[in-house]
Amino acid sequence: MFSIVARRMAVAVLVLAFVLGGIATAAAQPVKVEFWHSMTGSRLDVLNKVVADFNAINPNMQIEPVLVGTYEECLARFRAAYQAGQEPGIVQIYEVGTQAMHDSGMIIPAYQIPERLGENWDFGQYIRPIVQYYSKDGNLWSWPFASSTAMIYYNADHLRAAGLDPNKPPTTWQEMYEYGLKLIEAGVVKNALSFGWPDWMFENALALHDLEYANMGNGREGRPTSVSWPNEFTDELLTIWSKMARDGVWIYGGAEYNANGAFQSGEITFLMQSTSSLDGILKTVGDAFEVRTTFLPRLSDEYPRGNSLIGGNSLYVSNRVTDEELRVIFEFFKYISRTDVAVYWHKNTGYFPATNAAVKALMDEGWFTQSPNHLTAFLQILSGKSDTNASAGMRMGPFAQAREWVRTALEKIANGEDQRAALQYSAEQINALLREYNEFFE
Amino acid sequence: MKRKTIQAVATHAILLITLALVAFPMYYAFVMATHTHQDAYAFPPILSPGRELWNNLKEAWSRVNMETLLKNSLIIAVVVSIGKIIFSILAAFAFTHFRFRGSWFLFPLCMVTQMMPLPVRVIPLYRMMASWGWLNTYRALTIPYFASTTGIILFRQFYLTVPQELADAARVDGTTALQYLWHVLLPLSWTNIAALLVIEFVYMWNEYLWPNIATTAADMRVAQIGLRMLYTSERGAAEWNIIMAGLLIIMLPPLVVLILFRKQFAEGIAMQTTK
Amino acid sequence: MNRFPNYRFLPYWLVMPSIIVIVIFLIFPFAQAINLSFHRVSPFGQLRNVGWRNYVEMFASPEYLFSLRNTVIFSALVIGVGLAVSLCIALLTTQKIRGTAFYQIAFIWTYAMSPIIAGVMWSLIFDPSIGVATRIISGLTGYSINYFTEPVAAFILVTAASVWVMLGYNICFFVAGLQNVPHNLKEAAWIDGASPWQTFWKVTFPLLSPTTAFLVFVNTVYAFFQSFGMIDVVTQGGPNRSTEFLIYKIYRDGFGRMQEGQAAAQSVFLFVIVAIIGAVQIYTSTRKSVYDR
Repeated sequence: MFSIVARRMAVAVLVLAFVLGGIATAAAQPVKVEFWHSMTGSRLDVLNKVVADFNAINPNMQIEPVLVGTYEECLARFRAAYQAGQEPGIVQIYEVGTQAMHDSGMIIPAYQIPERLGENWDFGQYIRPIVQYYSKDGNLWSWPFASSTAMIYYNADHLRAAGLDPNKPPTTWQEMYEYGLKLIEAGVVKNALSFGWPDWMFENALALHDLEYANMGNGREGRPTSVSWPNEFTDELLTIWSKMARDGVWIYGGAEYNANGAFQSGEITFLMQSTSSLDGILKTVGDAFEVRTTFLPRLSDEYPRGNSLIGGNSLYVSNRVTDEELRVIFEFFKYISRTDVAVYWHKNTGYFPATNAAVKALMDEGWFTQSPNHLTAFLQILSGKSDTNASAGMRMGPFAQAREWVRTALEKIANGEDQRAALQYSAEQINALLREYNEFFE
Repeated sequence: MKRKTIQAVATHAILLITLALVAFPMYYAFVMATHTHQDAYAFPPILSPGRELWNNLKEAWSRVNMETLLKNSLIIAVVVSIGKIIFSILAAFAFTHFRFRGSWFLFPLCMVTQMMPLPVRVIPLYRMMASWGWLNTYRALTIPYFASTTGIILFRQFYLTVPQELADAARVDGTTALQYLWHVLLPLSWTNIAALLVIEFVYMWNEYLWPNIATTAADMRVAQIGLRMLYTSERGAAEWNIIMAGLLIIMLPPLVVLILFRKQFAEGIAMQTTK
Repeated sequence: MNRFPNYRFLPYWLVMPSIIVIVIFLIFPFAQAINLSFHRVSPFGQLRNVGWRNYVEMFASPEYLFSLRNTVIFSALVIGVGLAVSLCIALLTTQKIRGTAFYQIAFIWTYAMSPIIAGVMWSLIFDPSIGVATRIISGLTGYSINYFTEPVAAFILVTAASVWVMLGYNICFFVAGLQNVPHNLKEAAWIDGASPWQTFWKVTFPLLSPTTAFLVFVNTVYAFFQSFGMIDVVTQGGPNRSTEFLIYKIYRDGFGRMQEGQAAAQSVFLFVIVAIIGAVQIYTSTRKSVYDR
């Protein structure tokens, strides 16, 4: 028996030797720059194609895309890698990491890249809300790449089945509530509405009514010291959300994209989700039912109009890259800003085309008439303001934790707890985090 | 007599039902892997296999670059298993055949691995590896695992049962300690080696956190991460047919190792419990 | 013990490989974690000494205590339910019937499954829209459970998957333990007129206690540490932090939430907990082997 065991082990070792022998390393010729990102699923293929095309037309340059993990992992790992001197040249960071990246001292602000190379670049070519979101003191700090916003997706067939007009989707939360009740009464669905990214939807609701999320000019005029809620607005909003949860109109849909499944399989009628899910949803649903999209609901006209928020991510550059590497990076950034590339990116992911030229090109070729769902988010964001601190988007260091606390509050509300108490508790936690973050700058 | 038969039948019945329950998750996963996306979502659920297995396997295989993942997991699992076996035998030999100063301290020190699992020290470890330039290397994925509490205990317990006379006889013959280890102890240890191989191969194949953190390059990823990549998709409606096809591929190697060495595994375990 | 008295340095060379690995990759990073636990770390790597504040705040934090509580409940369920089920199966497969060898192999294989694989399989079973368990429960009670949103559902999911994945290992050990119970002892009890039930509790179970103790330790380690992958892939600690067990909280606080100092304090405390459990285990095993000789 010993010999049988020994023989089996010998086989295992041989397999190992064989495998190890097969590993070879290739010598490098072109200037290589690593690009860490978090694009999974269908977006991964699109990103890889963009990078491969760039590498093909620039034989002396090579961008190496690396899927690092979730957004959160990407940010955490970039920090740790930087401290160990092993960071990539380019890193994709979600909007949540904006303030932390600005404060990090690890990056070259985007606007300084052309300067350092002795070149010029017109940052005015990017669409306004994106520039606003990622700018500090009027200068763009990260390269616009994959920007999205939130909107409502709805199942038009459901509305018809419940005797509602699919051309008149709800525009206010009150209407949303009523529509939901009707849909449930008509037996079309058990639950009518769900969201992805509930914490971001909460931020969106504030921005949409031109209300600030935190003090210090929404964190845009200095590091915020406390959040601006709970307040009258959140009371009103969350009271409706509580009622919707109680009556089964709103069903909590998890932190990110879990709710998409319920929408795609026709279990719910309304989905509040990032525009970046558009292509995935359209492809999966196919002809099963008619998918339409519309603006986010408002609370009431007592509050001023703001805007929906830019989400998604942008690209940062390590401040330790050599000039040679920076040139490659700049060429790559110029490449992704090219009209044809931006158009390709938009059509295949649902992210905004970042430049005004790309928007015009899409319009001229009739893309928006042909695919009106791709227009919704645009109209929504371009028809709102983006010049107030509230509508341009909140900025704070411990943003990721803040989101988690808001999500915790919303989960409590979805489970029937008192909205005011839940939100108050989360607000206190966030304020403590803000204090702590600010202590590093004393 | 009759009563005994009834008892036996009842025992079989209970065992078979339990077995069916325990096997069900695996069966369900397999069934999912044989259907199209639409059929996976059919209502009522289809519980008999379909015909799409091959296509789903191919899709899962290409979607996450399965070849690389399996290769890496295999390398890591085999290297770590062998490393742990060697390190454990040496240490266990020292602790059982010699009296030396400091062993009272060194032995508990070797037991410490079980109490400092990776998540507890992952950030300092990551920093350290990064500053050595070890990220994205096989070194980072194997060497930190070489010390093994389980292994040292396993061999120690066994060597304690080897009769003293064997060592005495060898010493009288003028055999050195290392020759004794190599020619006498090692041939007796095959069962334990195989048992430890199963334990460590399964353990390393299933390791997730550290490989996930210590690697970023696509060609250094391991199988468990591949499964997560298949599972986590922003498309919403999970593609269970593809996920489960990938799962079937990924779970196979440790299962094969376990089945190949099941006897030695069970005997090694029995040896541990007879103490 | 000292079978080769003439070597002064050899034993040190023999233990050195293990010791080097342990010192460099375990002790050293852990010492750094201890140091970090007295600091706060900014998102860009600055350290600030805060004394014992991380520890004080940790024990005052409702989230930490919630996590601690849930970890204890989770471990208790994994150990209690898992060991009870495994012992029953092991008892049945060691009865005097045909095919025991087949059964013993047929139950062992879940050992080869990773926590992630178990988590993925069970998340299909509990999938809110198509899961078999979800459909059976909603068919019986009219209530459809959803582990994305309901803490209890998520908790049941990870517990069920954990119990399931540990079955193979537990059964294997119990079978080995049961086969070591001398048959004549049981027969003696039978002859004395004890029922099978009494025989089990009076004879078999006490003799099995070393095995049970060992399995309690292994399952504790599983529940405390190994469940990490399953949590990270299936629930990410949610919903409402219900599955954010200690180990996952350390990882999230340290890596995702950028609170490395606080996470380090948690690791040190977790180490203390596990060291106590481990010391008990080592103490019993060493004492046993001394007894043995």
